[in-house]
Amino acid sequence: MNAILKNALGICKKVTDPCIDFIDKKLEKFDPVWQAEHGTGGLRSRYPDDGSGIPRYREWRGVRDTFQDYVAWLRNVGYMGAMAAKSPVHVVKGIWEYRWMGSFLGSFQFVDRIFEGYRGRELDIANIHGNAIVRILTLRIGLILANDRRLGGGPMSDFIIGLDETVPPLFTAGFPTLNAEPMQTMPEFVVCDVDQNLDPYYIDVAESYGLAPDVCSRCSAETGVALDDAFPVFGKLVLSTNQPCNASEATSMFQRRRFHQWGIEDYPFVFAMQHNEQNGHDYTREELKQAIAKIEEVYNVKYDWNALFKAAANMNHQNEIELEKWDIFATPYSPLSGISESLYKLVEWALVNGHDAYFNKVDDKVIQIMRQAVDDKYLPYKGKTRHRAFLWGPSAMYYTDFPTWTQNCWGLTIVLNMDSTMGHNHIDTEDPEKALTDLALFSEKGVMRHHAVGGWDNVDAVWAWAKRLNCDMVICNDNVACKGMNGVHGMLEERARELGFHFMFLPHDLEDSRTISRQEMRSAVNKFMSVVMGEEPLDPTLVEFDDSKAW
Amino acid sequence: MKKLFSILWNICKKLVMTVFVLFVVTFTIYMTNAENKLIYYHISPFLTKHYDKQARDRRI
Repeated sequence: MNAILKNALGICKKVTDPCIDFIDKKLEKFDPVWQAEHGTGGLRSRYPDDGSGIPRYREWRGVRDTFQDYVAWLRNVGYMGAMAAKSPVHVVKGIWEYRWMGSFLGSFQFVDRIFEGYRGRELDIANIHGNAIVRILTLRIGLILANDRRLGGGPMSDFIIGLDETVPPLFTAGFPTLNAEPMQTMPEFVVCDVDQNLDPYYIDVAESYGLAPDVCSRCSAETGVALDDAFPVFGKLVLSTNQPCNASEATSMFQRRRFHQWGIEDYPFVFAMQHNEQNGHDYTREELKQAIAKIEEVYNVKYDWNALFKAAANMNHQNEIELEKWDIFATPYSPLSGISESLYKLVEWALVNGHDAYFNKVDDKVIQIMRQAVDDKYLPYKGKTRHRAFLWGPSAMYYTDFPTWTQNCWGLTIVLNMDSTMGHNHIDTEDPEKALTDLALFSEKGVMRHHAVGGWDNVDAVWAWAKRLNCDMVICNDNVACKGMNGVHGMLEERARELGFHFMFLPHDLEDSRTISRQEMRSAVNKFMSVVMGEEPLDPTLVEFDDSKAW
Repeated sequence: MKKLFSILWNICKKLVMTVFVLFVVTFTIYMTNAENKLIYYHISPFLTKHYDKQARDRRI
């Protein structure tokens, strides 16, 4: 039956392919990538000059890619619709109650702009990842709103554990009757990537309350969410944390006061800052044990190791594929890079963390495309890559669509971001004691932590990563408010000179786009690429443009 | 039998027409970026106005 179907498809393709090629040839002048190649326009030509960042029409990518992107868009519409249909009253109340839910409506535009200029297999993978991200976010937002006590509550209201978003949730799989939800991911972290105007509001709330304006803007925004009473309300316990760094300790202290007002207990889950040493691992292992005991006590449930092993097997499968991906990233043939890689990895690791086997299926599908690309010696981005960079970049890279822009404007591929190297050790799936030891090591290498805190060696590791991935460039995000990383400026510059890498500092203020705008970030790259590297942009329409009022 | 075929044929025709109309409508929305324009220029300003008017309890 399969052979007959394949033959029929083969015959169909013989008829349709020449037709599609004919249409593509006739309409190629509308393709912005073609326009940039032929000097008749570019990716920014579709946008009005009002700073809105809303293009007049969507990108024409040729028949196959446009249709593929249309189908992916339809899927995203379906996920959004399913979220609203499951619990329409709670969703409408949520949009009316929470400013961050209003920003979430910009998601369609977000997906468009982060995959702008993508074609062929890059687009295939990007849309598989994009759909997976929208699916999980709509599922989780739907669950949160449907059980938010502020909006009337639901059947799961008392069975959710609140986690600080930087606590890796894998260990909570041992409580299969409970649901672990990161507190800050929806109100602050993910939605600020969609809409650059969201966090400045919460930062202003925190600063008008008296918080110093020179602190980490992520922590400041989280504090603003707490002060503005904009956290959804669920569960009986929140595990707060010192992850990734000591700025998080401060914001946790503000947040716990709000949680207490809602009758939610707070338990500080403290990780070892020096996470390369054995005594650090031992310490985290004990902390894990205590956190499990605390959840057992508050929710009156028993830890189920078999349930944990099931999720750990998902995580192990994910990490096995991840290691293979890193080998493919080192070649010039990887159709996966940039924001398609880093945002998916961030969601898959920090939010899913083995809890959803759907992501294993996504990984299986993507690695097949990547293996085929290597076999075919496929050159992504039409072979226009000029430089390969390892990025030390936190969240400012997402709302700015930074890797997509560097690729389209300068042919600079972001091969891997530092956050994509989070915990990838194997977790034992038979012995609880061994599993606990593995989990401690795994959990310590969390978001914005693996190469950001825990001593100079962890920061200095960027060069080894760049070498391993055959990168000629390292880009380090330079957060004006990050006291920790400001201290290693000179040392990083010295090391770049010593090791012979092209090296660039990228100024930003994390989630406050007012201090350093998107265009100022792009200008820093423009100057480096034109003055230091002496190169011309691939798409001149992308060099300087106004997106100050954009989401 | 003939009647059954005729009913099936009519259902198929209606199904194909519905799918075609749905495709035309959704593809037009997609290509013209209509949903983003609607959200950005109309829904967002309306919601922002509402959020700005909210009285939030900032005592902790």
